[in-house]
This record gives sequence, C-alpha cells and structure tokens, in this order.
Amino acid sequence: MDPRNFTFMFYGFLAAWLIVLLYVISLARRGARLKKELEDVRRLVGSAQGGEVARLEDRVR
Amino acid sequence: MREKIAIGLAVAAAVLLSYNLYEMFMVLPDEAMQGAIYRILFFHAPAAIVGMIGYFIALTFSVLYLSSGNLRWDSLSASIVEVSLVFSVVNIVTGSIWARIIWGIWWTWDYRLTSALVCVLIFAGYLMMRRAIEEPTQRARLSAALCVFGCVDVVIVWKSIEWFRNNHPGPVLSIRTGGGTMDPAMERIFYLNLLAILLMAIALVLVRTRQEATAREIDSLRRLANAA
Amino acid sequence: MRTVRQALSIARKDLAIELRTKESLNAAGAFAIAILLLLSFVFDVTSEETRDIAGGLLWLVFAFAGALVFNRGFARELPNECLDALLASPLSRSSLLVGKAIANLAMLLVVEFVSLFVFGIFYGIRWWLHPWQLAAEFVLATWGISIVGAVFGALTVNLRLRELMLPVIIYPLLIPLLIAAIEITNILFSTQPSWADGLLWGRLLVVFDIVFTALALLLADTILVN
Repeated sequence: MDPRNFTFMFYGFLAAWLIVLLYVISLARRGARLKKELEDVRRLVGSAQGGEVARLEDRVR
Repeated sequence: MREKIAIGLAVAAAVLLSYNLYEMFMVLPDEAMQGAIYRILFFHAPAAIVGMIGYFIALTFSVLYLSSGNLRWDSLSASIVEVSLVFSVVNIVTGSIWARIIWGIWWTWDYRLTSALVCVLIFAGYLMMRRAIEEPTQRARLSAALCVFGCVDVVIVWKSIEWFRNNHPGPVLSIRTGGGTMDPAMERIFYLNLLAILLMAIALVLVRTRQEATAREIDSLRRLANAA
Repeated sequence: MRTVRQALSIARKDLAIELRTKESLNAAGAFAIAILLLLSFVFDVTSEETRDIAGGLLWLVFAFAGALVFNRGFARELPNECLDALLASPLSRSSLLVGKAIANLAMLLVVEFVSLFVFGIFYGIRWWLHPWQLAAEFVLATWGISIVGAVFGALTVNLRLRELMLPVIIYPLLIPLLIAAIEITNILFSTQPSWADGLLWGRLLVVFDIVFTALALLLADTILVN
C-alpha cells in the first residue's frame, strides 16, 4: 500500500473542510456587508422621506 | 424564523458530523484494499450527490421563475446553484486526492469526472454572469435560461460519455469495494454523512436566500431614494 | 411553415447585410487563419501525432471564430433600435431566433470551409477523402454551435460585458458537441475510418441539435423580450 495513504486522507479531509469553511466565511462577510448597506439605504430613504414631510409641513404652515 | 431554522439545521449537521467523524476514525477499521484513504469517500460521494441534486432543484426553480416571473424563485435558484457549486468543487478536489493514491493519477476523463467538471464550468459561468448584470429581471431571465440549458447539457455529457466509456477503459468510481457491497457499518456512516451534508447544504441555502432577499430590498429602497 | 419562411427572411436579411459589410466574415476568417498559423508552430505538422489531433485543432479554431460571429448576431440590431422594431413586428420570436441561427450557420460554414482549405495546405491533411460525411458533420455540428450562439447572443445583447460573457457561457455548454465533432473529424481524416464509432458520435450530434433547438424554440418568448 502506498505509504502516503494516511497523509493523503488527511489532505482530503483538510481540502473538503477548508473549501466549505472558506465559503461560510465569504457568506458571513457578504451578510455583514449587506446588513450595513441596508442600514445605510434605510437611513437615506428615511432622511429623503423625512425631508419631504418637513417641506410639506412648511407649505401647510 | 428562517434564521432559527438555519441555525437549527446547522447545529444538527454539526452534531451529526461530529458523531460521524468519531465513528469514522475511532470505530470503523481501515478498508482492506484501500487502506485509510477510503474515508474520503464519506465526504466525496455525498458532496457529489448533494451538488447534483441541488442543480436539478435549481432547474425546477428556474422553470418556476420563467413561468411566474417572481424574483423570489430566481433568488432561490441562484442560492442553490452557489451552494451546489461549493459541494461540486469539494467533490472534484477530494476525488482527485483519493485518485492520486488509489489510481496513481490526479485525473482521468471518464464520464463522471468529465460531467462533474463540465457542471462546475457551466455553473461557475452562471455565477460570474450574475455578478455582471445589475438589472434584476434581465439577470433572472439569463440565469434561468442558463440553468435550463446547463442542466440539460450536464445530462447529455453524462449520458454520452457513459455510452462511449467502452472505447476508453478506465477505473470506475464506485462506492462498492472489490465487487461486493459495502460493509453495512460503513454504509450506515455513509448515509448518516450524506444526511449531515444535506442538512449543512440546506442551512447554507437558507442563509444565502435571506441575503438575496436583503439585496432585493436594498435595490428597491435605492430606487425609492432615487425617485424621491 | 410560416415560422420557417419568416426565419429564412431574417436569415436572408442578415446575410445580405453581412455580404455588403463582410465585418464578421473578415474578422472570423482572419482570426481562424491566424490561429491555424500559430498552431502550426506548436506542432510538427508532418508527424502522425498531429494527424491524430487535427480534428481537435480544427474545431477549437471554429469554436473561437464562432464567438466572433455570434457577438455580432444580435448586437448589429442594437443601433437605431432595430431590435425593438423586430420584436414589435408580427414575426414570431422563435422565427427570429432560428433565422439568426441560420445566418450564423451560413457565415460559420463559410469560415469553416476557408479554414479547412488553409488547414489542408498548412498541415498536409487530406480532408477530401470523405467529402459528404465531412459536409454532413460540419452542418450538424455548426448548427448546434449556431443555435446556442443565437440563444445566448440574444440573452446577452444588452450587457456591457457581452464580448467577455458570451464565450464564458457558451463554451462549457458546447463541450459535448465539440467532443463529438472532434472525434468524427479525426475518424474522417484517418486512413482507416471506424464507421461504427463515427455513427455513435454522429448520433450524439443529432441528439444535441434536436434537444437544444427544441429548448431554444420553447424558451424563445422568454429569451427575446423588449
């Protein structure tokens, strides 16, 4: 039997877990980025809408 | 709610994987002909199965998108393709490492490996293309068409090279060892690991789909902000 | 029948434009000959091994030249909103798609024939040994390439990165077709052709063509939208 048998088994497991781990990390980073972007855009829309309401209130007054 | 389900599935998968790893290394003996390295098959084959099933489920959602126009189907399809691609890559890499020891070569052009590689190429192109298109409806349309053509193509590659494998004799990838069936103890762990990887894949898909929904919300809010 | 007539009129229009400008034909033809020339430096053209891989070299060249042809296919309709006019016309979507594919087929066949001629000179391959079989193979394989090129050319017409994306999407899809075409071409160029094998691969070509043409027709309304 090939003497590298056990080593290569270890490499195989390492490869499988590493690939999945890298994907999970990229997913987590993407999630954090999207969350931040959502907050930013919500604030932007909030201020835009808040601005509109303020202008309307001025006209009424 | 969805987050709770994803976390639950991830925890279940982790528990099952831990149990399986313990069984694999502590309880099961080395295989007679292959030695220690046969244990790679416990991840290699389930990854392949989960990947392939994923692509065909994504195909179903793509067709659903094409008939209904609801972008949620497109998000689901894209998430499943992405997770399936990860598992397909795991499949090819672990298979290569196993083959280096058992067959003495990193690669061969038999039907399973060739179709696996074509699959990865097609769906990597799918993801690349999605990144290049900003308009959601156009992206969804193109993705759905590519998914349909891609899945049909993978079937054609699989079947055609299978017909011709008589011309190119080569080692046949099989979970059955030495002509007999797999030892029942090993088979049990194999199916348990398949379940664990399936649970992991579903959890990842749920997380990814949630991210796609967030991206759509950001997109629509931006349009609202621009319109205001 | 009406679809076929409409498709042929679209093809005729495209070919008339092409014959006037010759932009795609010149570009694809020059590209094909340049690649063949470069490849002739890579291999020893007189050796037996090169004869064995001749089919592969040829079909690689055709696939790359094809990308140049498909890029122009729907893109030439973008200026002056010709594509919108075509979509608004009473032409069915499927006839538009098939018409474009027929035009692609014709242009690609011209490029292939010229390349074959040059190939015969550079590599000393006697490609005229089985002309009818070779012609049939070329038409079948090129149709497969053309219909996939037409579908994805239509889908990517509005993209910024169309020239980049189209090859990335198309080539993996064409792998089974190209494998079959390469094998048949190698069989037809060999001194002792194995007809049984050739027919097997030919069957794959036919299956590919039928399945992908059917898919294209089925999805034509989704592929071609305003």
